[in-house]
Order: sequence, then structure tokens, then C-alpha cells
Amino acid sequence: MLTFLARRLFVMMPTLFFISVLVFIIIQLPPGDFLSTYLNELQAQGEAVDPAKIAFLKQQYGLDQPLWQQYFDWAWGLLHGDLGFSFEYNLPVTEVVGDRLWLSVVLNFSTVLFIYAVSFPIGIYSATRQYSWGDYGFTLLGFLGLAMPNFLFALILLYYANVVFGTSIGGLMDPEFINQGWSFAKIMSVAEHLWAPVLVIGTSGTASMIRRLRANLLDELGKQYVVTAHAKGLSPKRVLFKYPLRMALNPFIADIGNILPQVVSGSVLVSVVMSLPTTGPMLLAALQSQDMYLAGSFLMFLALLTVIGMFVSDLLLAWLDPRIRLQGGVSQ
Amino acid sequence: MTDILRIRDLKVEFVLPHMRVKAVENVSFRIGAQETVALVGESGSGKTTISQAIMGLLPKSAQITNGSIVFADPKKPGTRVDIAMLDRSGAEMRSIRGGRISMIFQEPMSSLSPLHTIGDQICEAVRLHRKVGSSEAKELASDMLGLVGFPNPKRSLKTYPFELSGGLRQRAMIAMAMVCRPALLVADEPTTALDVTIQAQTLRLIKDMQAELQMSVLLITHDLGVVANMADRMVVVYDGRVVESGLTHDVFVNPGHLYTQSLLAAVPHFDMGPDERLRPLREIKPKVDSLLTFCGDKDTSEQGGDVPPSLALHPAMASEPVLAVRHLYKSFAVRKGNWLKTEEQEIAAVADVSLTVNRGECVGLVGESGCGKTTLSKLIMRAMAPDSGSILFRGESGQMTELTGLNEDQLNPYRKRIQFVFQDPFGSLNPRMTVQDIITEPLIIHGIGDASYRKKMVLELMELVGLDPRFLNRYPHSFSGGQRQRIGIARALTLKPDLLIFDEPTSALDVSVQAQILNLLKDLQHELKLTYLFISHNLAVVDYIADRIAVMCAGRIVESAPREQLFRNPVHPYTQALLNAVPFADLDHLLDFTKIVDGKASDPRRWPAPFTIDAQSDPRMVQFAEDHFVRAARADYQEMAI
Repeated sequence: MLTFLARRLFVMMPTLFFISVLVFIIIQLPPGDFLSTYLNELQAQGEAVDPAKIAFLKQQYGLDQPLWQQYFDWAWGLLHGDLGFSFEYNLPVTEVVGDRLWLSVVLNFSTVLFIYAVSFPIGIYSATRQYSWGDYGFTLLGFLGLAMPNFLFALILLYYANVVFGTSIGGLMDPEFINQGWSFAKIMSVAEHLWAPVLVIGTSGTASMIRRLRANLLDELGKQYVVTAHAKGLSPKRVLFKYPLRMALNPFIADIGNILPQVVSGSVLVSVVMSLPTTGPMLLAALQSQDMYLAGSFLMFLALLTVIGMFVSDLLLAWLDPRIRLQGGVSQ
Repeated sequence: MTDILRIRDLKVEFVLPHMRVKAVENVSFRIGAQETVALVGESGSGKTTISQAIMGLLPKSAQITNGSIVFADPKKPGTRVDIAMLDRSGAEMRSIRGGRISMIFQEPMSSLSPLHTIGDQICEAVRLHRKVGSSEAKELASDMLGLVGFPNPKRSLKTYPFELSGGLRQRAMIAMAMVCRPALLVADEPTTALDVTIQAQTLRLIKDMQAELQMSVLLITHDLGVVANMADRMVVVYDGRVVESGLTHDVFVNPGHLYTQSLLAAVPHFDMGPDERLRPLREIKPKVDSLLTFCGDKDTSEQGGDVPPSLALHPAMASEPVLAVRHLYKSFAVRKGNWLKTEEQEIAAVADVSLTVNRGECVGLVGESGCGKTTLSKLIMRAMAPDSGSILFRGESGQMTELTGLNEDQLNPYRKRIQFVFQDPFGSLNPRMTVQDIITEPLIIHGIGDASYRKKMVLELMELVGLDPRFLNRYPHSFSGGQRQRIGIARALTLKPDLLIFDEPTSALDVSVQAQILNLLKDLQHELKLTYLFISHNLAVVDYIADRIAVMCAGRIVESAPREQLFRNPVHPYTQALLNAVPFADLDHLLDFTKIVDGKASDPRRWPAPFTIDAQSDPRMVQFAEDHFVRAARADYQEMAI
């Protein structure tokens, strides 16, 4: 088990390395760089640009160096916790990002929790009472959740919250806490605002998770070992929880790695619509202005999240399922 | 003798939204104390529904609409419980189920949860029905595991089902059912999924446990051989009704009902004369028409264009070999190990196999699961390539051709000369193709004949296998298992092959349908002078259809002889073990349970000298008598001439 852990961790390193190379290449793909975009903008506004100044800026930002050198500097910085320098804000990336990173983590983590907490009981209910009114009702809601675009749902929610309740649910905290230090009141305010984006981002994930759990559980319910458990005289509830549910958990857990990036990318649009102070809108802006270190840091952060999610789900699977843990050692 | 269970006028209906379907009606029988009653019937007869009703395990849509199932627990004398009236998931039913009546199932692979240890699953049953602590439950569970023959019960508690072999899994299942010392054991096809030798061991175990725990057994099976060896009384069900019941001896000697008679007549047994035929419920008379026999004829060849040469047998060709396999080897790499280390291990699936099939004969290949018989058939088909050895096949030219070195294109002409019929009639037909498409597909693939020839061929083939030509536009799902298998046979015959390979063609079918298919195959072979390689684990079936039989074990052929000789005079210990383990539907040849030894008869290292195969000795096939070869290290016998 320990060697598995070590090997699994070891494999993550080249994965992250390849991702970093890819991220860097993709950011460099569009013609030009941050400076040329910036110059174009200036020229469009009719301002004169001094070539000496351009050369100076180029040298200062290291844009005159060969690509591999730029990559190496960036990656070396990443390894030491230095995320680089944002051209647009003229500040180190760490300072630009600030709380946004943590707010993003909180938002996404709550969303995943929400998805699991809601879909689990509903999935079990739907599977054990297949074709009942409740099942049909949840199925309908689920399809609605799947079909509706997130941003539309966000807009609808914003509108009705404002019209009916007279409150603004945009943002992740009350305006007076923005750019303030963390305090208990601020945390409470975040918690108060969190539900709306969590609901919006989580709906489609929840809906698909319900469908998946329902299908898995229905498959398992018909299996022979369930009949065996009934034949032992176990009560139906204990049978359900000990045997088929345990089996149906596998795909549920294997999905952690999938859900994380899905939630993160889904939250970008919603964050724009609901003006959430998360990384999403900033990533969008950074990509547009080719602010390469800022964008690169965000993308690397997403990649790290996915890789870690996969790692966690693998660990959980090995812990839950002896067939994975003891693979191969068939005796007799 | 007091009865443990009395079923009277039981009627079970499935209530569907639009209709009610009767599953079982007017079923009455009783099970006495310490008695074994066999419930015999073919698939769809309702025998499983009856067992579910007794266990209170009927599906939600099923309702007991009439009758009673009265259970008299010998532990509580004087009390009678009508199971039919109980709430299926209520506390009273649950205390009976698993506690006083327990059940073992057909599939040892899927009947145990793969995520929980054996110990966990057995202890659960103990603690559910007895007030014991967890350490005491473990004690009871390991005692029971020891009783059912686990070599190391204490350690086995911590193993997972997938770490055990099929036989041991079924033993664990039996231990789980017995651990609460039930008054009645319901065994639903307990040995159908097991190999013959394991089946005999399991049957013996059930008998031993029955004596040990003084319980009654309700044995549900379609195998009359098992019934003859196990049951005191038998109940025959057909179409949801009991058609006959009585002492096993009486029913076997003097079957009263027509269905019972035909069931008994449909089972192949070893005392059959060379010309004696099985009598299925419905016989199919193959009708052979012009295209299949006289294809060399001018008329048809003009009509049909490119027509393969005639199959008609010339007397001179009678004994020439069609297929000659020599010293064939194939091994697979198996990855074994844990997280720490993985090591690749070579497992020989086929080792030193030599086999000859002569034109017009049927060679039977017998062996238990995992012995390599399917791998061998795939090698002959060249679905995979052997590691070494040669496969000689007589092609269209009449010359023996080596198949091993050929590439895909060169193999193509031989592909149509060897055809295959599969075990699973459900998986082997494409559900999206009509019968006509399925049967003509080989002709289209090989570009043989025009539309009218193909049409005529299909019609003839349908007649040949006894299917109504009006069914041509139907899809496979509208046919029964036996009919599907006939479609599979028709498809294999379309190309008029020189060699037909059957891989367990009847093991998924009911006895009466099996008899029907076997007779059809016999007739076809006779009429069309076909050559068969017939693979099966069922010795009686092979004995019925084959002229020569080869016994395979652990990738090797250990004995081969003409059919009468092999069964009358088996030489190899494995053949003997196989023959000792087959339960015959014949009260004069009951299993000798004392001869059945636990452990694996299929382990070549444990065979006595001169048959032992291990690192030191690797015996070849030697001639024992004329045409009778056995794998043994005997210098005084002549090595098989090749």
C-alpha cells in the first residue's frame, strides 16, 4: 500500500511537468505577447510610443529571452512559490490573486460537498423507489438542472432575489467587507452569500450525479449477492446500506477527479455573472490581455486541483474496494 | 415422520400493469424431516418461483394468490407458521429466513459480495439469528468453515471471495447457509455452475452436512443425474404445475406422466447402444435438399456461380485426416503480485497437444473449465497464433496445408472451410440482424453465389435445422435458446465447411432441447457427411455424439481412445476421477461418494507415477492399446506414432 502511495505520488510529478509545459505553450500560442497587445492599445488611443521604452520593458519582463528560458524561469519560480509578475497589475501575481484563490477553493469545495450531500439521498431514493412519483419528480428536476445553462440560472436567481426579497445576492460578501481583513463577521457574510453560487454551479453536477447513482444502484440491486443478503434474513435497509450501496459508491468516488475541474470551469461564467471575487473572471481577463504569468498560475492551479482530486479518488477507491487493493494475488 | 414443510395449492401470479401472469398454480408437496426432496423442471417451469415463495424472496410484482406454505419448526414443536401469509420483509419472516430455512444459490461467483470478507458475511448471519458476541460468532464461523472443508478456517475468515476458487466459494456459501443450523436448506441449482469433480465434492458435502445437522433439503435442479444421487423423493414441475411426485426410485423406474417419461428419455447415459437415440420432447427431422449435397451438380453451379466443391463423401476419403494438430503449445503471460513487486508468469494454456480429426468422424474433447479446450479451438480456428507446433488442414486442394505460418490473407480460403458453433446462443447472434441476414452473412463475406443462390441456400438451411422459413425476417430475440442454437448451426453450415467445431453447444440448454440438438447434429453428420470437433465438459453428451474422445487437463491431452474403450477402460487417473464424479440419471449407477476425494484431481503434480507431470517428469503420449493413447512415462509402451 505504501509503495502504491509512493508510486502514485511519483507519477504525479511528470504529469504536472507536462501540464506546465502545455500551459506555457498554449499561452504563447496567440501571436504577440502582453507588450504588443498593450502597444496596440496605446497606438489605437493615438498615443506615441517610444521604441526605447519598449525595449526597456521587454528586457525588464524578460520577453526578449528565448522561450525555453522564459519557461524555465517561470517553472523555477513556481517550484519556489513565486508565481511570477503580473504585467497588467504591475504587481506580483501572489498579491494580485490574494484572497481570490482561497475564496475559489472555498466556493468549489462547498459546491462539491453540496453535490454529494444532495445527490446521495436523492439517488438512493430514486433507485429504491424506481418509477414512483418521487422518482419521476426528481428525474424531471434533474433534467431541468442538466438542461439549464448555469449563467441563465444565475441571472434568474439574481433577478428574483432582488424583485421578491429585495436583496442582492451578487458577490461573495457584503460590500463593506471587501478589501478588509478577515474577521468573524466577514466569514459569516461569506457564508451568507455562498449558497447562491453553490446552488447555481452545483445543479448540473448534482443532476448528473443523481442519474449516475440511480443507474449504478439499480444495477447492483438486481445482483445475486443482494438476494443472498436478503436470504440471510437481513432487514431491507441493512441489506441496502451494507451491500449494493457500497458497490455503487465506486463510480461515485471515481468521479471526484472529474467533478473538480468541471466545477471549477463551470464557476468561471457564473462568477462573471454574479460578480464573485474568485479566480474565474480574473483568469478570463488575464487570457485576453495575454498577461501570461497570471494566466499560467491560474491554469497550473486548476491542473494541480485535478491531479490531486484524481489522487484522492484513487486512494479512496483502493481503501474501499479490496479488489483494487489486493489485485492479482488470487490464491488457489 | 413429521413434515417440516407442507405446500398446498400454491398459486403465484405476477401482477403487471396490464395483466396478471400465472407463474405457478396448484402446487402441493411436502418435505419430511431430514428428507431430501428434488424439485425437477426445465427453465421457465416455475421451480425457482416456488423456492422464492418458500424463502419469502418473491419479487415485488409477484403475489401469492392462493394456497399455503406451512412450516413446522422442529425446534419449536407444535408451532406452525404459514409463510404465505407473512409479510415478506417483516420480522417474523426474517427470523425464519436465514435462521431456520436457508438457501444456497447457483452462482458461487456472484452470490457473495466481493467487497466483504468471507468471515464478515458469515458472522453477519450468525449474529443476526443468535445472541452471540463477535468473538463467539467468529468462532462459530471458523468451525463451520472447517466443517465444509476449508484447509485453514481461521485465516480464511479474512479472505475475500475473489481470492477463492469456484469450489471453495460454493463451500463458503454453504457454510454461510448452514451456520445457523437451519431445519431446511433450499439449494437452487447448487452445482450447475461447477465442474464435474467439484460438483461431486459439493454434493457429498451437502449430504454430509445434512446428516450432521439433521436437516431437510429441497434441491432444485434440472439435472436428473443429481436427482438420482441425492433425492429421496422428487417433484416434477412443468409449466407451473406439479405433473408428478413420488419416491425417486418409483419415478425413475416407472414414470407415470408423459413429461417425466420424455425427460428421462432425453438424458444421455453411458449404457446406450451405438444406434440408440435420445428421445426429445419434439424431434426435428432434417430435410436435406439439393444445394447442400449436390453442389457439384451442373444445374446448380450454373445458377449459383461460384460454388464450393461437393462435400459428398467418396469412399476412399473416409479415413483421411482433415485436421492434424501436432505438438501445439500456447502460453499466456499472467501478471501476478502486489504493490511491491509484479512478476510475469507464463501459464501454459495448451501444451504438447496432438490431435487428428478424420473426415466424417466426430471427435469429442472433454475437460473441465480452464483446461485449455477453448484455447485449443481458437488455435485451430487461427483466431490466435500458437507459440509452436503445427496445424495441418486439408483445404480445397486436397493437400494438407500448414496453417501456423500463414498471414490473414493466406488464411482467408481456410476460414470458410472451418466453422464454429458457440456455447451461448444469446450472445452469438447479433440482435440487430434478421435470421436471413445472419445465415447469409458468411456467403456475403466470402462473396459466394448471387442473390438467388443465397436465398435458396437460406431456405434450405432453415428446413435443414427444422425452422419455419417464414421466420426468416424475424430477429433473434423472438426465438428460444434451442431455436437460436439451430440458427447458429445453420450459419455454420452455410459455407459447407470441412470441419465444424462445437464449443459446448448444448450446455446452456435444457435437457429436452439438448437431446433435440444432439439428435439434429447426429442426423446432419450422417446426411451431409460432416466432420465434427465437439468440445464439452459433459461426459455423457460427448459419449453420445463422439466416435473418438480425447480427455484434456491442464492444457494437455491425457488420454484419447474410441468412445466405448475410454469409458469401459479408462487408464489415466484423471479420466477415472472424471468418470467417478459424473452423476448418472440411473439408479443402478449411483455415485460412490467414498471414492470422491477432496482436493483437485486436475493437478498433474499429484497424479501417481507413471502419470505425474512436474519439473522432473514430462511424459509423452504412449500407446496403451490399439487407438488408445495415454500420457504416461512407460518405457514399455510405444510412443504415439505421428
